[in-house]
Amino acid sequence: MAEFRLPANSRIDTRAGKHYPAPAGAKQVRVFRVYRFDPAAGGRPRVDSYALDMEQCGPMVLDALLKIKNEVDATLSLRRSCREGICGSCAMNINGVNTLACTRSCAELGSGDIRIYPLPHQPVLKDLVTDLSDFYAQYAAVKPWLKTRTPPPPDRERLQAKDDQLKIDRPSACILCACCSTSCPSYWWNSERYLGPAALLAAYRWIIDSRDEATGERLDMVEDAFRLYRCHTIMNCAEACPKDLNPARAIGHIKQMLAERQH
Amino acid sequence: MSLRTPLGRVLNHGAARSGVVSHWIVERVTGLALAPLSIWLLVQLLALPASDYASVTTWIAAGWNPVWLTLTVLLAAWHSWQGVQVVVEDYVHGFAAKTLLLLLSAFAHALVAASGVYAILHVAFRSTT
Ligand code: SF4
Ligand code: SF4
Ligand code: FES
Repeated sequence: MAEFRLPANSRIDTRAGKHYPAPAGAKQVRVFRVYRFDPAAGGRPRVDSYALDMEQCGPMVLDALLKIKNEVDATLSLRRSCREGICGSCAMNINGVNTLACTRSCAELGSGDIRIYPLPHQPVLKDLVTDLSDFYAQYAAVKPWLKTRTPPPPDRERLQAKDDQLKIDRPSACILCACCSTSCPSYWWNSERYLGPAALLAAYRWIIDSRDEATGERLDMVEDAFRLYRCHTIMNCAEACPKDLNPARAIGHIKQMLAERQH
Repeated sequence: MSLRTPLGRVLNHGAARSGVVSHWIVERVTGLALAPLSIWLLVQLLALPASDYASVTTWIAAGWNPVWLTLTVLLAAWHSWQGVQVVVEDYVHGFAAKTLLLLLSAFAHALVAASGVYAILHVAFRSTT
């Protein structure tokens, strides 16, 4: 059954959160309420609050998290690498919305406390770090590489018309951050069987690639009540994508192609 | 804990394929057909001069009304059956519970459709004789 109540271990222990006050003399104080969970320590998760002086902090949420980690509480765990929205590792849930911490500015988030949680409905390894093994397996499952039977021309790369390149241009911009899939209710309820918006966007990117010769095989692979048709066009994915991509529309196109090849 | 790889789990038994595209098409086609039919039904019911037994049965039996009503009942039952199937698949994960609910839903929808059609024909044929 779908779980409407969180497992005991996932329910926040509201009394356990620690508070870290702002440094003396701070003028522009902002509070960051951050989800904390350490499976090795046992017990339930808690929310710690860190008051920072924004005059001494960079503008993005990731800047604040790194300031906390470097100067206030080194036990905080999070993933990040590029700090410019291209590696996809700093995806998390900020004020209720899945997004990249490195491209979300604190000023954009109004003036209240900033609530930071890991990506929803994924097993938490520690604090803001989730286990994305299934998410990556779903990506691998759609065989995200060029499949051909015609050998490449001996003297040059495989050619593609400009219009055809434009079709894959946007879907190729996906950074696999998982903001979309983990915001999708269908993915929450059926993540073992539904491929999710990110993997389906990747499938679509190869289905419409004019150089690919496995289009039929790729369509066969998603022709399944769970793998593809769990998408009910709720559109959370398009709403969440920090790269402004639209997996919902790609999924709609795949369904259309499957319908077209019937008649 | 299973030691199966994540990819093995995701690929699982492969794509079932059978019937999923037609299910998707049926959902849309029945929805499309039901749009004008339900508007027709609503407008007709609101326009009835009175809502007593005699005037409603007279309206049911009049002209092409039994045909439109039968279509509405059958399509609504079909559409709802497909929709309930999706809801069950979304939220019920155990194979036994899921199969049981899908069977119950199929039988319940068949019952509703048959009763509806029977009632319409009953009224229609009784008033013409
Ligand atoms: S449109 Fe589909 S993939 Fe996107 S959030 Fe909704 S159900 Fe999920
Ligand atoms: S489609 Fe957007 S939200 Fe989804 S994984 Fe790709 S970049 Fe992230
Ligand atoms: S750190 Fe790379 S996307 Fe945020």
